[in-house]
Amino acid sequence: MYITELIINGLIQGSLYALVAIGFTMVYGILRLINFAHGDVIMIGAFVTLGLLQLNLSWPILAILVLLIGALVGFTIDRIAFRPMRGAPQVTGFIASLALSLLLQNLGILIFTAQPRNFFLPEFFRKTVLIASLEVRYLSLVIIFSTIILLVLLLLFVKKTRMGIAMRATAENLQVARLMGIKVNHVIMLAFIIGSALAAFAGMLWGGRFGQIDPLMGFVPGLKAFIAAVIGGVGSIAGAAVGGYLLGFSEVLFVGLLPSSMSGFRDAFVFGMLIIILLVMPNGIFGTSEEERA
Amino acid sequence: MKQKSFSIPAMAILGILGLIFTAVADLMLSSYITSVISFIFLYMILAVSLNITNGFTGLFSLGHPAFMSIGGYVAALLILPVFRKEFFLPDLPPWLAVQQWPFFPAILVGGIVAALVAVIIGYPVLRLKGHYLAVATIGTIFIVRVVLKNTEELTRGALGLNGLGFLSSIWWIYLWLVITVYVAWKLKFSSWGRTMLALRENEMAASCLGINTTMVKIAAFVIGAFFAGISGGLWAHLTTVITPESYSLGLAFNLVVMVVIGGSGSISGALIAAGGISLLVEYLRPLEEALGMYGLGQILISAALLLVLIFRPKGLFGTGELSILRKEITYRSAR
Amino acid sequence: MLRLTKRMKPIIMISLIMMAAMAMVFAAGQKEAAADAPIKLAGMYNLTGGFSSIDAPGLNGAQLQAKLINEAGGVLGGRMIEVVGYDTQSDQQAAATQAKRALDQGVIAGLGYGDTTFVMAAAPLFQSAGLPFVTSGATHPELPKWVGDMFFMVPFGDDDQSFAIAEFAWEDLNARKVVVWTDDSMDFTLALSKFFKQRFNELGGTIVHEVFFQTGDTDFSANIARLRDSGADAVFVGSIPNEAGLTVKQIREAGIDMPIISADGYDTELVATVPGPQLANDVYFSTHTYRNDDRPEVTRFVEAYREEFDRDPENAFAALGFDAVGLIADAIERAGSTDGKALQKALAETTEYQGVTGLIAYTRPSRVPEKPVAIIGVQNGEFEYLETWWPGN
Repeated sequence: MYITELIINGLIQGSLYALVAIGFTMVYGILRLINFAHGDVIMIGAFVTLGLLQLNLSWPILAILVLLIGALVGFTIDRIAFRPMRGAPQVTGFIASLALSLLLQNLGILIFTAQPRNFFLPEFFRKTVLIASLEVRYLSLVIIFSTIILLVLLLLFVKKTRMGIAMRATAENLQVARLMGIKVNHVIMLAFIIGSALAAFAGMLWGGRFGQIDPLMGFVPGLKAFIAAVIGGVGSIAGAAVGGYLLGFSEVLFVGLLPSSMSGFRDAFVFGMLIIILLVMPNGIFGTSEEERA
Repeated sequence: MKQKSFSIPAMAILGILGLIFTAVADLMLSSYITSVISFIFLYMILAVSLNITNGFTGLFSLGHPAFMSIGGYVAALLILPVFRKEFFLPDLPPWLAVQQWPFFPAILVGGIVAALVAVIIGYPVLRLKGHYLAVATIGTIFIVRVVLKNTEELTRGALGLNGLGFLSSIWWIYLWLVITVYVAWKLKFSSWGRTMLALRENEMAASCLGINTTMVKIAAFVIGAFFAGISGGLWAHLTTVITPESYSLGLAFNLVVMVVIGGSGSISGALIAAGGISLLVEYLRPLEEALGMYGLGQILISAALLLVLIFRPKGLFGTGELSILRKEITYRSAR
Repeated sequence: MLRLTKRMKPIIMISLIMMAAMAMVFAAGQKEAAADAPIKLAGMYNLTGGFSSIDAPGLNGAQLQAKLINEAGGVLGGRMIEVVGYDTQSDQQAAATQAKRALDQGVIAGLGYGDTTFVMAAAPLFQSAGLPFVTSGATHPELPKWVGDMFFMVPFGDDDQSFAIAEFAWEDLNARKVVVWTDDSMDFTLALSKFFKQRFNELGGTIVHEVFFQTGDTDFSANIARLRDSGADAVFVGSIPNEAGLTVKQIREAGIDMPIISADGYDTELVATVPGPQLANDVYFSTHTYRNDDRPEVTRFVEAYREEFDRDPENAFAALGFDAVGLIADAIERAGSTDGKALQKALAETTEYQGVTGLIAYTRPSRVPEKPVAIIGVQNGEFEYLETWWPGN
């Protein structure tokens, strides 16, 4: 039963990382930009949910609203921070995203204070169901299944629709895509919108899972989601999802199977993995980028 | 052939002015204000040393806080009096438990240990480029933090060390500031410095010219780490507290802002930007407290960086220097 | 010569600017003249961050006491007491820096904090300056030894409060096998767990296993999985207020019903508000006494607090802050002066200060007061006083 609980925890954590990693990888695939502010969209999603919960909406409407607001945030970030920097060297975009991230975090502290806030999801999510003699919350199942559904929808979109194909083309070669008549700026905007919507959605689930939110909650998860994207191969959506689940499982198993005194090393383990992957297998599992990384 | 450097008289005057300023601060101002000025000097040391790694050589390192931690802890462990070690750190290995070093050598050793760690980390990590290097250095911050948190016998883990002696007088810090600026100065205007700049501009071309790029990159990284370690030791004995969380990514970011705004590769730019930004932060601190608006200073810094990156990415001076400090050396060609 | 003069102009300008800056900074740094100004005490507290739920009431209590004393005529024949609050944002470096600032501003003593680690960051500075520091809420029994002779504690030690809850768990909850959760990033929680395990083992109980977490953690799922698997009767959570509510919430949400026990780190409204009334059940903790106590000091304090702040005292730390200022004022009167050494002597000789939280006397060689411990239970989000435990039982 202990192992069952670990597996379920791994699936939950993996789903959360996957949702965020997908957004990272979409923007990276097209712009070759590591967007640090992406993690903070999780935080925005969580706080927005907190606000919306006051309105007593039914939860499907709540979820859709969170997705829409996340999309709006993505659009704003692209327009205001990153569009003016198109064409700048890679490192400039990176520092800019770091600046944006700190800006968002400190705005959060300014508006909400650094004090953690309580997060109560509607009653529905807290009911439990018995799986393999373990009581599992509805919320946990929602997290796992909604991630899978969103992932499948996204993969269909990217494979079958015109816009999706345009995105893949732009990711493969931006200049040529532009020459072929694809509106590259629209594609980029779409990448930001979808990615941020997913991150905000993850923020809502994150708050529900742990019960507490604060303005700094998004940064480390964002960083870890980036690591997940790297593991899966940056630029590949399926890769980001796989990377997310791999990372979620590794974390949970690391803490769950090793003696408790070692659990403090979890973050060192995760970052160590990142450095090793960057050096040894820079394209990750599914990545095909020929970019010079090392 | 013309070549720029710092004019010695100008730098000497600057040094003496700084000395007078330090004397006035120490003798006439309250110890709180003096420590504020000490912090400003520390930021200058950090910015100038980061400039060697990031600015001269173009290695995007966010790792300074990791080296500060290492230098700070090493210095603190060496300086802490033996009787305090007994009840504070009862599980220290015996050879360490009997050490009680004076201030200057301990700080120096802190810097050296940080530099050694930089050599070890540098070999694998410096093979990465651009933002991947940056992320790897962020990883270093986390890894060092976790190691410090989990080696409780040496470090008291997450509790940190407090009640450290208040030993970093403004004079010591000023001394190290002078040393750092001097080293950066000599480095920049020497053939090493030109090699670093060449590497920054185009690594491929530089290696075609026969430059051992790995050595140069590691050297730049290590020198920066050394001064970061020194600053860590100085900082710890200014605030009398050090914990694994003391030096964070936020600090690394602010240092990068100083380097970028000053101009990557400009020593005087780094000094001015560091002075200006840290002055602003210290000025805003009581305001933030009074209004309950914490985080205001950080927001302004982040916004300033975004604006600079959009409108003037070269920063104040680019790779050049403040004009009055410059001096042009003209070589006569052999006749 | 001409070239030098052209260069000199900018240098002269810069020197002038630097001197002007120096003058401004100098003016800002002027110390206040002392004269017959109020007696200033530094109230070192974390008004923001993880400790605010216990420190903010602490400062409230301290300032309330100062107000009452001033209304009754002040000390030393009419001098007013002022408690200057310093918010150190639950950050150790800020604690040390603000302590320095306080010392610069002419305080005659320091007080405050509900946590050992912050006391350790700030109090040594007072010790080296030769001024007393009285902690209102930090409870580590070795603090007076670590900081020095200028240091005094208002509350009991962690040993006493852990013994109390261990005995309560054994006798009243019939717990025989307990799992221990320890926050290993705080001196306070490490001490709590150490003393709890010691007493529980002495009584004949078994500690099934011990797991660790750190301040700031939000994910307890791994420890909860282990807990579920452990077969224990109760879980002892050595945590600070920041994690108090969250641990209860996650444990209960996971469907685990066993009693959750702790010490004064759980004396915070977070334990009820974070899980919510449905889940805040079967939680027991030891803390400083003042609830349900009908001694005159207590009634007077509670009524004054209600009148000043429009609400009941949030937790025992308000009463402790109140007592800290009261103790210092009493010592000032006995010493007849505000001089550091005289004040220290008067404080050390305290044998019968009747505080809201009990009698404060420094009779034990450890200089930790021997005070009663209250056991509080939480059911349906409501706090109720259960019993009092006396040291030396």
